[in-house]
Amino acid sequence: HGNRRRGLAGPRPPLAAMFADRSVVGAEVESLWRSAQSARCEAKSCQTGKISTVETAVQSHTSRDAGVQTEQSKDAVQDFQLEVQVDYASLLSFLQRVEDAVIQELNKNWKSRAFDGFEVNWTDQNETVLCLHTLSYPEAQDRDLQVTSLSWNATGSVVACSYGRLDGGDWSTEKSYVCTWNLDRRGLNPQCPDLVVDVPSSVMCVAFHPSQPALIAGGLFSGELVVWDTSRREDPVIWRTGMTDDTHTDPVYQVDWLPDAKHRNHHRLLSVSTDGQILVWREEREGRLALAEGFALVAQQVPCRAQLKKVAWGDVAIGVTSLSFSHFDPHVFVVGVEGGYSLKCSMAAETLALHRSGSSVPLRAPAELTFSPHSGPVYSVSCSPFHRQVLPVNTSAVGWTQNLFLSCGTDGHVHLHSLLQTQPLLSLQLSKKYLFCVRWSPVRPLVFAAASGEGAVHLFDFEKSLQKPVLSIKQGAGKHPVYCAEFSRGQSGLLATGDAAGTVRVWQLSSGFTEQGPRERNRLEQLASELTD
Amino acid sequence: AEVEETLKRIQAHKGVIATMVINAEGIPIRTTLDNSTTVQYAGLLHQLTTKARSTVRDIDPQNDLTFLRIRSKKHEIMIAPDKEYLLIVIQNPCE
Repeated sequence: HGNRRRGLAGPRPPLAAMFADRSVVGAEVESLWRSAQSARCEAKSCQTGKISTVETAVQSHTSRDAGVQTEQSKDAVQDFQLEVQVDYASLLSFLQRVEDAVIQELNKNWKSRAFDGFEVNWTDQNETVLCLHTLSYPEAQDRDLQVTSLSWNATGSVVACSYGRLDGGDWSTEKSYVCTWNLDRRGLNPQCPDLVVDVPSSVMCVAFHPSQPALIAGGLFSGELVVWDTSRREDPVIWRTGMTDDTHTDPVYQVDWLPDAKHRNHHRLLSVSTDGQILVWREEREGRLALAEGFALVAQQVPCRAQLKKVAWGDVAIGVTSLSFSHFDPHVFVVGVEGGYSLKCSMAAETLALHRSGSSVPLRAPAELTFSPHSGPVYSVSCSPFHRQVLPVNTSAVGWTQNLFLSCGTDGHVHLHSLLQTQPLLSLQLSKKYLFCVRWSPVRPLVFAAASGEGAVHLFDFEKSLQKPVLSIKQGAGKHPVYCAEFSRGQSGLLATGDAAGTVRVWQLSSGFTEQGPRERNRLEQLASELTD
Repeated sequence: AEVEETLKRIQAHKGVIATMVINAEGIPIRTTLDNSTTVQYAGLLHQLTTKARSTVRDIDPQNDLTFLRIRSKKHEIMIAPDKEYLLIVIQNPCE
């Protein structure tokens, strides 16, 4: 404003031009990206060649349903002799033709000495005893649990052990485990069992089912019985006794499967406990085990030729620690009791027990014969499994083999008894400490194994020596007592042992222990008859 | 009845454990053993006898099998073959 008034005389700049609208030519920059883009691009297309497809259909014109299933044969023995049409005339003429030849051969064979001492070696002789596996469960070992019992399954490939405590004297409610390992699996990890079952109480004994490979029964410290099915992942418990009036009031020290006389395929469970009762359980619905029959051992009812500690008050029960069935007579069994006696009992006994019975089934007194005692509780009995499989025609040749059993206890002695007499046939001192378990070998009639408190398993072979063990397998560096030993049932000839340190060792025995010699059964009979004289 | 007498005589011989008669198809006709064992023996020994017989005849077509004996660790099995039947005797030759 000030400029306008003063600069009136001079040349005036074009004010209008200074403040007029003017369009300005903008600066232009050529864009390069499109041309550059298109300079580099090429149009390409890719497509797989056409696949030739053909529609066809395949379908069998005829089909047939076939089912294959193996099942146990039914009880009834088929009398096949009636089904086949037999032409007796031709059968008779055939027999007349061959009879002489056969009798001649039989006579020749009986007198023949051609094969004396002739033995064939089909397999390579394995001379050493090897420890194949050392199995343990670290969690159980951390809690200082011991292996209380072992069992092999029906096929001989899985070994199960129970962890618990054998030296716990009072009611123990600490958790324990049942572990299984499958030894035939390739990825066997000795520290990691295939299956671990947590059990709320301490497991004292386990037993696999004799024909179904997945079922295990266990006896607990609380007196209950439980059956687990190892093929079920979520909840392996399938049957249990629960705590009823029937269950044992003391720990169950041994559990066994009994073949049911009426239904061949069913088995019942037998449990043995230090409250003096031997109970047989059957399966009921909803996973309960119900008492089928039972026996109770009471001091007054045991036939005593020796002096039993007679206690004046009440009916004192005798604590049963172990049981073994005779393989020859399914009704006869032998029990070992805490008093040091072994008793021969029968399932067919009729007399009722003088037991204060709160149980639903009346208990019977089974004892028939008392054998001479050990000087301490009997921990294990085992009946010899060798008896004649084929029926002899002349039954006067009934062998002694079916009547032998072994018993061992805290006095470190093993007694070899015959079921027919009270005095032992042989008494061997194996250990200065306790002997926890004795088992006959399932393949060799003259061999048995005994597990001792000094940490060794002694193997006896009556063919080689009647006094000393032929082999003593030390379990390891430490002297942990070995609580259980079991031979496997299959072909493998393995021996599993479990000790107080919580390790299970599987031993492969040398061929001397796994192959039966030519006339071993006769040798056993000879031995037994020599000893009774 | 005579059949039974003959079989009893054979069975009563020293050391004989079992006696069986099976027919040409391998079906047991008479036996002193239990059913399952008999069936097992019958099937296996029938096949073995057929094989033994064909072996003998392959070596010499004029020859034929008259008797078959199998000796094992525990006992001896004797087989008397025929066109229609097979007699099997198991003996325990222990001295």
